[in-house]
Amino acid sequence: MARRNTEIDEEKKSRSVLFLLSAVALLVTGLWAVWNDNISRRPWKIFQYEFRNLEYKRAQDAVGAESARLEADPQYEDLQKQLVAARQSLTEGETARQIADRQARLAALEKRLAVVDLDLRFVKSELEEAWYELDHAREFGQPEEPRRARIDKLEAHRVETKKQYDDLTHQKEQLESEMKELQAGVKTIEDKIADVSAERTKLEQRLEGMVVLHVGPLKMLQVPRIEQAVIEEYDRNAYNQPIARVDRCVSCHSGIDKPGFEDQANPFKTHPDRDHLLSKHPPDKFGCTPCHDGQGASVNSVAQAHGDVPFWEHPLLRGEKVQARCNKCHMDVADVDHADHIAMGQKLFENLGCTGCHLVEGLEELPKVGPYLRRIGAKVDPSWLTRWVTNPHQFRPSTKMPNFLFAPEQGTAVAAYLLQASTKESQEWLAQYPAPPGVDARNSTLVARGQQITEQIGCKGCHAFAPGEHGPRLGAGVDEAANGADTGAGLRTSKDIAPNLANIAEKTNGRWIFHWLKNPRHFSPVSRMPSLRLSDDEAAAVTSYLLTLGAPKPEPPERLAALARPETIVDGEKLVRKYGCAGCHDIPGMENESRIGVELSAFGGKSVEELFFGDRYDVPRTWDDWTLNKIRTPRVYATERIEQVMPQFDLPDEDIKELRVFLTSRNEHVVPVKYRYKPNDPAQKQIVDGERLIAKYNCSGCHQIEGKGGFIRAFYQENLSLAPPILYGEGAKVQADWLFNFLKGPVPIRPWLKLRMPTFNLSDEDTNVLVDYFTARARKDIPFVYVDTGAIAPENIAAAKQLMSPDYFNCFSCHVQGDKNPEGPPEGWAPNLAMAKHRLNPDWILQWIHDPQKLQPGTKMPSFYPGGPDDVFGGDEDRQIRAIRDYLMVLGLPEGNRAGTQVAQRPPAGR
Amino acid sequence: MHRLMLGAVALLTGAMLAAPGSAYEGVDVADGGSISGDVKYQGDPPAPAKIVVTKDNEVCGKEKTSPDLIVGADKGIANVVVRISNIQKGKKLAPATTPPTFDQKGCEYAPHVLAFPAGSTVQILNSDGILHNVHTTSTANPSFNQAQPKFKKTIEAKIDKPEMPIKVQCDAHGWMHAWWISEDHPYYAVTDAKGAFKIADVPPGDYELELWHETLGKQTQKVSVKAKEDAKISVQMTKK
Repeated sequence: MARRNTEIDEEKKSRSVLFLLSAVALLVTGLWAVWNDNISRRPWKIFQYEFRNLEYKRAQDAVGAESARLEADPQYEDLQKQLVAARQSLTEGETARQIADRQARLAALEKRLAVVDLDLRFVKSELEEAWYELDHAREFGQPEEPRRARIDKLEAHRVETKKQYDDLTHQKEQLESEMKELQAGVKTIEDKIADVSAERTKLEQRLEGMVVLHVGPLKMLQVPRIEQAVIEEYDRNAYNQPIARVDRCVSCHSGIDKPGFEDQANPFKTHPDRDHLLSKHPPDKFGCTPCHDGQGASVNSVAQAHGDVPFWEHPLLRGEKVQARCNKCHMDVADVDHADHIAMGQKLFENLGCTGCHLVEGLEELPKVGPYLRRIGAKVDPSWLTRWVTNPHQFRPSTKMPNFLFAPEQGTAVAAYLLQASTKESQEWLAQYPAPPGVDARNSTLVARGQQITEQIGCKGCHAFAPGEHGPRLGAGVDEAANGADTGAGLRTSKDIAPNLANIAEKTNGRWIFHWLKNPRHFSPVSRMPSLRLSDDEAAAVTSYLLTLGAPKPEPPERLAALARPETIVDGEKLVRKYGCAGCHDIPGMENESRIGVELSAFGGKSVEELFFGDRYDVPRTWDDWTLNKIRTPRVYATERIEQVMPQFDLPDEDIKELRVFLTSRNEHVVPVKYRYKPNDPAQKQIVDGERLIAKYNCSGCHQIEGKGGFIRAFYQENLSLAPPILYGEGAKVQADWLFNFLKGPVPIRPWLKLRMPTFNLSDEDTNVLVDYFTARARKDIPFVYVDTGAIAPENIAAAKQLMSPDYFNCFSCHVQGDKNPEGPPEGWAPNLAMAKHRLNPDWILQWIHDPQKLQPGTKMPSFYPGGPDDVFGGDEDRQIRAIRDYLMVLGLPEGNRAGTQVAQRPPAGR
Repeated sequence: MHRLMLGAVALLTGAMLAAPGSAYEGVDVADGGSISGDVKYQGDPPAPAKIVVTKDNEVCGKEKTSPDLIVGADKGIANVVVRISNIQKGKKLAPATTPPTFDQKGCEYAPHVLAFPAGSTVQILNSDGILHNVHTTSTANPSFNQAQPKFKKTIEAKIDKPEMPIKVQCDAHGWMHAWWISEDHPYYAVTDAKGAFKIADVPPGDYELELWHETLGKQTQKVSVKAKEDAKISVQMTKK
């Protein structure tokens, strides 16, 4: 019973509340599931939805603005009025009356036409019948005559009726065309309006195209969807098989490839310089992460998509680091727009001597950046050397040489080893180069002359002469004052390409300076310093001047005595080996040393876990912070147990950031050949190699080359025609073999310049690299040209002589002609035209005469064309220009010896 | 209403695009006053520099006086550009009835300072009959460097935009240089050999007068113009 009772009790119970609660819970869960699946886990949908609305709003505004413009346009207003008038006339006015008249006439005409038409058809039928009867009569031998007569009669009737029919039809057509014309007024105006408002129609169509569904007044825009780019074979999997990379960045960054959203914040912003960057890197082919990194496939959250999550190895590249991927495809970043940071980073890395200690793939064979120390004993004052080794920044803050933070006795030890190891070669050199006569730092006339020479011949293209002054710099143009912070080891300042010569007399002596100036290669076979071809007198004057900059400062005798102690020398040798001095310098006894630093070929791909922070818990745990602090204070992560030896460079933060961009670019990812920029074009490598030499020899200290450099021009602002020539399109301008020979042994071209193109004593290999560089920059595929001077038409020579004469262009008013100089002071002269045949490219001469300002803006050479004389070749200017060019190709050659002269010869060294 | 407003915005934008920055408006000036006066050298003027000519002597002569600074007997400075620098409204900038002429005579430019309304076509003459070139250094207008050989009696140069000063020089004769002033309003003058100038038909108001000389630099001066009256002004300039 009890049991039954229980059951009855159970049946009596109501579960409605439970059911209700369960139903509510189910509903809520269901709604949450839908919400979560569609919205909260798909944040990109919100972005896309917002962007589509924004885009629609923009398009609407554009239509509105265009409508407003049209309404304000008097032409549009006029057309609208014309249209209304025409329509009115069509319904009520004169046109309507005329049309009504035509219509009435047409109706009458059509009635008559119908009658005639019927008649004509009947006649035709009757004719058929009559012919049949004639045939029938023939068959049965009945008389033909009456039947033929009937045919004739009917035929006459048909012709008559047909004539009426044609006549009426013609009248009808005429009436119809008249009516069309009357109505056409409206159509013509409508067409004109369509023309004027074409832009608005286009905008309206675009607006309409954005709407996928109209529901009454509601419009539905495109439903958000994943937008992705598949970059085939861009990555490799663990089995080294090519796999595609998928980038879905555009799912949120909807405006990235659409113009007009430049003013928006991310993610809707248009890509900066989109026209240029995205047209060359279409996002559907290149995606986004090849340049920007991040986690392209992820769309679940901003942090995930940008790769700012643990264990993702390629987080989004921000700020200047966005350029760190340019060099994966572009070899010659120095020549690529928007790649200035990576280019500068690489330049700094190479020229600061980083590769002396750190191996980096692709940069294994760079020459040592420091001076040649095999004869150091003949060059420097021992006291100065001990101070310099201890802290070079104290003597010269802008030097590239880093500070090894040596204790004074360590500095003495290193100096002791260097002096001892170089004794033999120093003595040999001294024996060969005796003290020069005529050097006298107390002779003020001589000193003044020396200073004048340094200011005139171009020394300032590389060197500064006063403390705090800067020559052309290696990196950012930042001064001590601006960059602040003393790191304890010295001030952070930008580095000069060549040494500042302030206090040079503290460092070295007159004998060495004199011979160094005469020919640096006699002292150091690897020096970058060129010969300025100074005479003995000039070299003595310059030496005397330089000896007035500073004075020797002897160290205390006990320190100098320590230099000769064997145990000091042994200590010094250990230090030189430990700190890797041979990475940058050629040092006797250290020929077989290897790099002491870690390899950096894949440093950019290192994760935070792989970086050693030592005891520095204050440095944020990111690659960027680790690297910044490391380069700022290289021994920052040293601990009690772990020693670090990297020296202090004291670079400005600007330069450190550029270096960081370069280091970021060093990772293991290799971009497949098909994505690289012109992978098979030799010009790429030629430009890279050329830029490297140009940086090494600091050609751009004097010359502005392809728009960059020209430091020394700052000294010639008063009269830029006295500054070194700008090299712009040089490869197209000069003949390759001339350039080769000129670089090997420069000859004066511009007699008015006091500056001297130095003799760099370049090797044949280096000279070829430079010739190839200019040829590649000028996009000239064929460096050598041949002109058959024997084939030049005599009338061209005669015409050119006339054109160049004083009554015409008077070329020799300014140009030197062989050994004939123009009148007036040399600064008004122009290059010797007798040189042109060996020097200038014949095609270039044509372009030059045609428009010199286009090839070299600001040149003293004026434009003569258009505006050539009418009495030469009937005013045919192209023929005149060709004639002048032809004459220049033989100018200066003896008359009888012109035929068959070869202009461009292959250089003796061969290519 | 909405459309009308948009239209107004579009019109305004259009107007602003058409004339960026140049707010000068040409109107009829009935009761204009004038500004006249002179520019004098303060202190003792330096002796005029001499240029020794070593080229084309038969045409150019043997020696020239430098046109850099010409001070007359009563210390009046020639070739000073005097202009109202802040005028917004005034008489219309009438196109010159005869185009401005710029001659090369005896290897000197005449005039040494040439002022004209923007949009003028300068007629460049070569009275010398030897090769000259006309090389301008311009920022607002395109620079040009045009040869003028003997057979070219006249060349033309259209200067579209207001700019001051445009340096003109001859590379064939290093000492030859001159200045062009292209103005977007008509209130400017160049002092004569006595240092005198006059600017007429100025609407009454307070203005800033700007004086510019190639070697003495720039100087400004406040001036008040009353209807139908002449505001007399005397300015002194000197080497800094």
